Amino acid sequence: MIDDFAAYLQIVPWPMQADVVFWSALMLVAGGSLGETVFRRAGLPRIVGYSAVGMLIAVLNQGASSHYLIGVVRVIVDLALGLLLFELGSRVNLRWLRANPALLCTSLAEAIFSFLAVFAALRWLGLSLNVALACATLTLATSAAVIGRVSSELHSAGQVTERMVIMTALNTLIAVLLHKLVIAWLHLDTVGDWMAAITQPLYTFGGSFLVAALLRGLVAWIARRLNLRDENSVLLLLGLLLLALTVARMLNLSTLLVPLLAGVLLRNTSVRPWVWPRHFGTAGGVLVLMLFVIVGASWSVQALALGGVAALVLLLTRSLVKAVVMAAGAHWSGISLRQSMALTLALSPISGTALVLLADLQISHPVFATQVEPVVFSAIAIMELLGPVVVQWALRMASELPGHSASNGKGMQP
Amino acid sequence: MSLGPFAESRALSMGVELELQIVNLHDFDLSPGSSDLLRLVGRRTLPGLVTPEITDSMIELCTGVCTSHAEVLGQLTEIRDALVQCAAQLNLGLCGGGTHPFQHWSERRIYDTPRFHQVAELYGYLSKQFTIFGQHVHIGCPSPDQALLLLHGLSRFIPHLIALSASSPFVQGTDTGFHSARLNSVFAFPLSGRAPFVLTWDAFQTYFDKMACTGVVKSMKDFYWDIRPKPEYGTIEVRVLDTPLTIEKAAAMAALVQCLARWISMDRPFDPTEDDYLPYTFNRFQACRFGLEGTFVDPKTGEHRTLREDITTTLAALAPHATALHAGAAIALLRGELAGMGNDATWIRAVAEREQLLPEVVRQQCQRWAGPAP
Repeated sequence: MIDDFAAYLQIVPWPMQADVVFWSALMLVAGGSLGETVFRRAGLPRIVGYSAVGMLIAVLNQGASSHYLIGVVRVIVDLALGLLLFELGSRVNLRWLRANPALLCTSLAEAIFSFLAVFAALRWLGLSLNVALACATLTLATSAAVIGRVSSELHSAGQVTERMVIMTALNTLIAVLLHKLVIAWLHLDTVGDWMAAITQPLYTFGGSFLVAALLRGLVAWIARRLNLRDENSVLLLLGLLLLALTVARMLNLSTLLVPLLAGVLLRNTSVRPWVWPRHFGTAGGVLVLMLFVIVGASWSVQALALGGVAALVLLLTRSLVKAVVMAAGAHWSGISLRQSMALTLALSPISGTALVLLADLQISHPVFATQVEPVVFSAIAIMELLGPVVVQWALRMASELPGHSASNGKGMQP
Repeated sequence: MSLGPFAESRALSMGVELELQIVNLHDFDLSPGSSDLLRLVGRRTLPGLVTPEITDSMIELCTGVCTSHAEVLGQLTEIRDALVQCAAQLNLGLCGGGTHPFQHWSERRIYDTPRFHQVAELYGYLSKQFTIFGQHVHIGCPSPDQALLLLHGLSRFIPHLIALSASSPFVQGTDTGFHSARLNSVFAFPLSGRAPFVLTWDAFQTYFDKMACTGVVKSMKDFYWDIRPKPEYGTIEVRVLDTPLTIEKAAAMAALVQCLARWISMDRPFDPTEDDYLPYTFNRFQACRFGLEGTFVDPKTGEHRTLREDITTTLAALAPHATALHAGAAIALLRGELAGMGNDATWIRAVAEREQLLPEVVRQQCQRWAGPAP
């Protein structure tokens, strides 16, 4: 009866088939509304809502497949993360590191010591050398997506905001470089191919730098001719960035390194300030929402059962080392102890960057990657909802949110 | 609360206070950084003082008591260099200018002290619009009566000082057409304007007591006059100057006030009367709006001429006093500006016109404030 009616109305195919566009649209609606709900009702960053939608999808699907980041999903993640990394990079003022060497030292120490400590802790838990090495590398970087999004959504400003940006850029850079070296090491370990172990990382670094320099040149060329705050020029900018990322993917270069370096180059090769709408306006906003839903959907109960404990140890070690390094460098680099604690918290999120690095490992060493997955997926899952909340908390603790200190003076009529 | 006694101070000694903008180095908007900056500056020994201001993207520096232009410039250089170094450590920029050209007042945060919160509660949005940056010059007076005489004598030159120092053409992203838009914010306060025309400290005390009786004021701090006596220091304080873009200009403006004070107290070029104030607000408006090209109405003769003309005449009359006070370099700097580009507001407009990007204007202001690289 209904079939006949559908045929009469010429609904083909029947029964209806939901395609990628349908699910993407549904994702936007669900993410958008839940994001707004947590923002208004609980005063939390909207990305908590986006991630929660992702986690729900994972539960309904009974766990994501381990080879999750492929096809169109990978493209979306690369593009969204590329946007955020480009924005992050364009805020990195290298002259600051020269003016404040203590900041550079703390930043390097933070990255290196948390890597070493996590590696040691995982070895102590009984993980094999290579697995511990890979896990420590993949979880080295702070999530550029989480800190970038939370700080711009809450309009934070101050030393903790500035420092979490520059430190995240630096530890992301180190993580990507180390990741390529680890992959090279694995090559050596499994196939004993010296040539590949040396030439492949070199190709990735050199190639990514070249593409980044090219992108920087084009953006600067456009910026000299058009007003970057104008909506049309922003679309042009977005298009350029997407083009560069696609080229990077086609040439097997790093989709993390290209936008990050392009941003850093742009910021540091010209003194004139660059002003464009955050996340490249609405178009970028859509990509960012989808990124958080996708990353949120990457966990599974099985992974959590297998790697949950190791992930917990990893996260605790990581934060502990950061806390010690930050506290030690606080006075020397010019911040208070309270700010250094806030900075420690702000650097704790793990998300998209780790997922992309894991996906690259899955492509180059599919068998080995299965041993790394449970720990990394669990770490991402634990920090998924916690990360943005902790960053918000840290920024509030450091009094870097608007209207914060003004609210202390209520009821003091003269 | 009573006014308290008028402290003793050396005639023609001077002190300079400068309110500065703290900006970030990405888009050059105002940035909350005063507490971080104060923490770092606190580790150094400097002449004078560095203190917080009402919102946490402002900072105030002041020199100690100085006797000469060279001494002011020396102290300002030392404090400026230290502040610029500390700011670089924090990825912050510092600049002069009476207003920030594009900051949004609703985003400003009140610096956390009881007095600032009281002011914020009382004046509401005005207190955040008060995110403006001025230079105050203190001149030492041997007695309170002489202070009042000097105060009313200097009032004639308020338009001159405004026109020379004006550096606030932009407010919240728009060209206001004014040279000093900052003063428009000051005039919105109920107790702004000029001091009452009394020439003895006893009469001033009576006026203050009557005002205190009405409950409108508690201390001299509640008066936002263009020039006000500061009994604790034994000085009068000239408050109409916009913060200049360079410390050289700030020191020159202070020296100009010192030369004027010497001229007025030693030569008595004219006797102050209440009627001098008849064209006062007109002259002041002309100076704020049109800068050096504004009309100046001579309070004694009623003659009209441009401020530029009257400033040139005044500088000529000051020459012997500049020599006596070793302020020749300061007067030469001001003459150079008169002959060249004009005031800082004109410079800011020209840069904005050329660059078409206000953050870039602020970046260049920071560069001028930091001075030539060491």
